[in-house]
Amino acid sequence: MNKMHTLCFNWVPKAALVACVALGLAACDRPTPVERDAATYNVVHVEDANKDIGTYVIPQDTAIVNEPNADEIFYGKRLLNETKRLLPDNVGASMNCNSCHIAQGKVPLGDPYINSYNFYPKVMPRAGKEVDLEARINGCFLRSMNGKALDRDSREMKAMIAYMKWLSQNVPKDQRVDIENAGAIDESLVPDPVRGEEIYYAQCAACHGDNGEGMKDSRGDIVFPPLWGDESFNIGAGLARTYKAAAFVKYNMPMGIQTVGLWGHGNVLSDQDAVDVSEFFAHKPRPDFPGKENDWPLPSMPKPKDARY
Amino acid sequence: MLTWLRRLIALGVVGLVLAFALGSLLPHLRTESPSLTVDISDPELIQKGEYVARTADCFACHTTLEGEDYAGGLPMLTPLGAIYSTNITPDKETGIGDYTFEDFYNAVKHGVRKDNAALYPAMPYPSYQIMPEEDIAAMYAYFMSAVKPVKRENQASELPPVFNWRWPLAYWQAIFAPEREFVAEHEDEVLARGQYLIEGPGHCGSCHTERGIGYQEVALSNLDSERFLSGATIDGWRAKSLRGEYKGLGTWSTEELVDFFKTGRTETTAAFGAMAEVVEHSTQYMTEEDLYAMAAYLKTLSPAPGKPVAGPNKEDTTTQKLLDGVYDSRGALLYVEYCLVCHRADGMGVPRIFPALAGNSAVFTENAESVLQITLSGGRMPETPHDRMAFSMPSFSSLSDADIAEVVNYIRNSWGNEASEINVDDVVKMRHFLSKKPRVGTDLPPHLGTSAQPQGGQHE
Ligand code: HEC
Ligand code: HEC
Ligand code: HEC
Ligand code: HEC
Ligand code: HEC
Repeated sequence: MNKMHTLCFNWVPKAALVACVALGLAACDRPTPVERDAATYNVVHVEDANKDIGTYVIPQDTAIVNEPNADEIFYGKRLLNETKRLLPDNVGASMNCNSCHIAQGKVPLGDPYINSYNFYPKVMPRAGKEVDLEARINGCFLRSMNGKALDRDSREMKAMIAYMKWLSQNVPKDQRVDIENAGAIDESLVPDPVRGEEIYYAQCAACHGDNGEGMKDSRGDIVFPPLWGDESFNIGAGLARTYKAAAFVKYNMPMGIQTVGLWGHGNVLSDQDAVDVSEFFAHKPRPDFPGKENDWPLPSMPKPKDARY
Repeated sequence: MLTWLRRLIALGVVGLVLAFALGSLLPHLRTESPSLTVDISDPELIQKGEYVARTADCFACHTTLEGEDYAGGLPMLTPLGAIYSTNITPDKETGIGDYTFEDFYNAVKHGVRKDNAALYPAMPYPSYQIMPEEDIAAMYAYFMSAVKPVKRENQASELPPVFNWRWPLAYWQAIFAPEREFVAEHEDEVLARGQYLIEGPGHCGSCHTERGIGYQEVALSNLDSERFLSGATIDGWRAKSLRGEYKGLGTWSTEELVDFFKTGRTETTAAFGAMAEVVEHSTQYMTEEDLYAMAAYLKTLSPAPGKPVAGPNKEDTTTQKLLDGVYDSRGALLYVEYCLVCHRADGMGVPRIFPALAGNSAVFTENAESVLQITLSGGRMPETPHDRMAFSMPSFSSLSDADIAEVVNYIRNSWGNEASEINVDDVVKMRHFLSKKPRVGTDLPPHLGTSAQPQGGQHE
C-alpha cells in the first residue's frame, strides 16, 4: 500500500494533488490495480560475474503473441510441455521435457532454459567435446527421455529452440542472466537409502506412486512422471546420479507443499533428506543407456563420483 | 428556546440512564441456573465433552496460530476494529478457572459473561443456544479437567467508544438472539440429529447464512426462512450456499459430503480457506454417523429462493482447445502457464491431490470471492490422517490484478462452468483486504512426517 501513497504524491500533477487534498485523503488512499511483480535478475558478463550490466525480467507467455514468430514459439512451448503426447516416436519414457525443466524452464534451480540459448555451444565434460544446443537437447532425448534424437533441422527442433531464444529475451551472447540452474547440495553427505525409502513413501509416493510408476490421466497423458522402472529416465540421465538428483529434489520437490513458489514447490527437505531419498529412487531399476561407454572420455574431465557406470 | 434545549438534554440523559439501567438488567433475565450438578472428574463425561467441543469447534476461535490450545487471543476483524477471543483454559487468573458450571453454561448458551455483561455475537451463542444442558455439562467437565491451564491475559477490543460498551449489546441479544429451543423438522432421528448439529454446535450458519443490518444471521434455522445457509461472505471468503440449487449443493451426493467433512476432500474437490479450518479442527473428528446425519440433512434443504435449480448444460469446448494448442484468450494463456500443471487441460485436477475446477460448485458459485482469494493467497487443504499428504495451492499474488481477473473469469466460464464475471476493481479490493488479514494455519505448509524432518547430516 505504501507504493500507492508514493504514487499519489510523486506523480499526480499539482492540480490533482490539490483536488485530492480537497476531497479528503480518502480518495488518494484508494488502491489502484497493481502490475505484474515479475521475478527479476541481474544480467552479468560471462567473463566477469561481478559487473551488473542490466536486468532480466522473466517474461510471461502472454507476451509471446507480440512476437513475429509467435506460432513457432507457442509450438515449441507445447512440445516442451507435452513431449510424450506430441512426439511419441522420439520419447521412450513417460516423461516430458518440462517434467524436469520446472514451470516451462522459467525457475532458477529448477533446470531453467533461461541461459540455454546463449550458453551453447560449449565443451561438456560428459561428451568431452563441444556440444551445441541441438546436441544438448538431443542429449536429453536420449537419456532423460530414454528416446531417439530429433532431426536437427526439423520443425520441432527449431520450435523448441525458438521458445528458448524467446525466453532469453535478447540477452547478448557474451552475457548471462545471473542465476543458477541447480542448487547447492552437500556432496560429502553419506546417503541412507533406508531413511530415503521412508521419506519417499511419506512425501513423494502420493504422486509418484508406490512403485515409482508415476500417474497418467484418463487419456493416458502424464500427470506425474515415473521415478523408476521401464518408463523412467535411463541410467545415462543426470538425475540417475544421487547428488544431481538431490540438488533437483531439494529445491523442486515435493510440489504443492506450500503457498510460495510458482508450483508451491521444494525447499522443505534438508540436504540429508534430499540425498537419502535420491539415493533410494535413483538406484532403483531403470533402462540402460546404450552409448554409456563413450561418456567422460577425457582424463582431464574425469567422471563424477556418483556416475552410474 | 433555551429551556427547550435544556429539557431535551435532560430527557436525553434520563433516557440514556434508563436505557443503561435496563441494558444492565437484561442479561440477568437471560441467565438461568442449570439443574445438573457436574462431576468434572468423571472420565466418561470428560471424553464426551471433548467430542462436543470438537463438534462446536471452540478450538478454531479460541486458539491462535502459534498459541497454546484454548488460550484465546484470536482477532476477529470487524469494520470498526478487531475483537479478541478470550482465554478459556482453566487458569484461575486469566482463564475461566473460577467459572462455576452456571457461569460457563450462561456464557456458552446465552452469551452472558460471569460478571453479567453481554458477549459479542462473534462468539456464536445464538447457535449454541439450542444445545442441551447435558452437552454443556460435558464440555464444562472437559475444559475444567482436561484442558491445560495457560496464563494469558485477555486483550481489550479495538472498538471505539460506544461500540465497546457492553450494555447496548444486551438489547442486541434481546432482539436478535432470543431464547430458542431446537425444533426438529423431520421425524426421522438421523435427519433430526443432522439438523441439530448444523444449527447448534456446528454453527454452520454463522458463516453460511447472510447477516442482516444488525449483524444478526437472517435465519437461525430452515424453519425461520429459506435464507438459512443460502450463502454469505466471511473474512473475504464466500461461504457459499449449502441449499439444494445447482450452485449450492445440488451437484453433491450425501456420500461426497461425508467424505468432504471427514477428509477435507473428495475425488474432485478440496476444502479451502475458512472451510479448510472447519474440517481441520472440527468435522474430521466427528463420528461417521454424525457426519452422515449432517450430510443427509443438508440434502433435504430446498433450493435457495430465486436461484436456478438446474445447471446450464453447457458443452465442454475448452479441453480440446487446450490439447490442440488453441489459446484463444488471454485467460487461456494464463491458465496454461500457471494453472494447467495441477488443474489439468480438462479442468479435472487429480483425484484427492488437486481439486477439479470443472464442475466444481466452489468455483462457479455465484459470488467469486473465494475463488479470487485462493488465487491471490493460495492455501492448504486440511490435514487429516485419511490421506498421505495435504497439498497447497500456491499464491499467485505476483500476477497483475488485470490478469488475476482474466484467469478467474476463465476458470469460472470454461469447460461446463458458467458464472458471472469479475472485474479489476474486485481484485484491487481483495488484494487490499488481504494486505491486512492475519495469517491462519492453512496458509502454512503441512506437518511433514517425522521421517522427513531435517536431521543432523552424516558426513564422510
Ligand atoms: C529426467 C529429467 C530431464 C528431462 C525429462 C529432460 N531434461 Fe533437459 N536437463 C536435465 C538436467 C538435470 C539438466 C542439467 C544437466 C547437467 O547439468 O548436466 C538438463 C539440461 C538441459 C539443457 C541445458 C540447459 C542449460 O542451460 O545448460 C537443455 C537445453 C535441456 N535440458 C533440454 C531438454 C529438452 C528439450 C528435453 C525434452 C526433450 C529435456 N531437456 C528433458 C534433466 C532433464
Ligand atoms: C504433488 C505431487 C508431487 C509430489 C508430492 C512429488 N512430486 Fe516429484 N514431480 C511432480 C510433478 C508434477 C513433476 C513434473 C514436474 C512439473 O510438472 O513441474 C515431478 C517431477 C519430479 C522429478 C523429475 C522427473 C522424474 O520423473 O524423474 C523427480 C526426480 C521428482 N519429481 C522427485 C520427487 C521426490 C523425490 C519427491 C518427494 C520428496 C517428489 N517428487 C514429490 C509431482 C510431485
Ligand atoms: C466463531 C468464534 C468462536 C467460537 C466458535 C467459540 N467462541 Fe467462545 N468466544 C469468542 C469470542 C470472540 C469471545 C469474546 C467475546 C466478547 O469479548 O464479548 C468468546 C468468549 C467466550 C467465553 C467468555 C469468556 C470470558 O472471558 O468470560 C467463553 C466461556 C467461551 N467463549 C467459550 C466457548 C466455548 C466453550 C466454545 C465452544 C463450544 C466457544 N467459546 C466457541 C469466539 C468464539
Ligand atoms: C468459518 C466459516 C465457516 C463455517 C463455520 C462453516 N463453513 Fe462451510 N464453507 C466456508 C467457506 C468459506 C466455504 C467455501 C470454500 C470451500 O468450498 O471449501 C465453505 C464450503 C463448504 C462446503 C463445500 C461447498 C462446495 O460447493 O464446495 C460445504 C459442504 C460446507 N461448507 C459445509 C459446512 C457445514 C456443514 C458447516 C457446519 C458444520 C460449515 N460448512 C461451517 C466457511 C465456513
Ligand atoms: C501446484 C499446484 C497448483 C497450481 C499450479 C494451481 N493450483 Fe489451484 N489448487 C491447488 C490445490 C492443492 C488446491 C486445494 C487448496 C486447498 O484445499 O486449500 C487448489 C485449489 C484451487 C481452487 C479452489 C477449488 C477447490 O475446490 O479447492 C481454485 C479456484 C484454484 N485452485 C484455482 C487455481 C488457479 C486459477 C490457478 C492458476 C493461476 C491455480 N489454481 C494453480 C493446486 C494448484
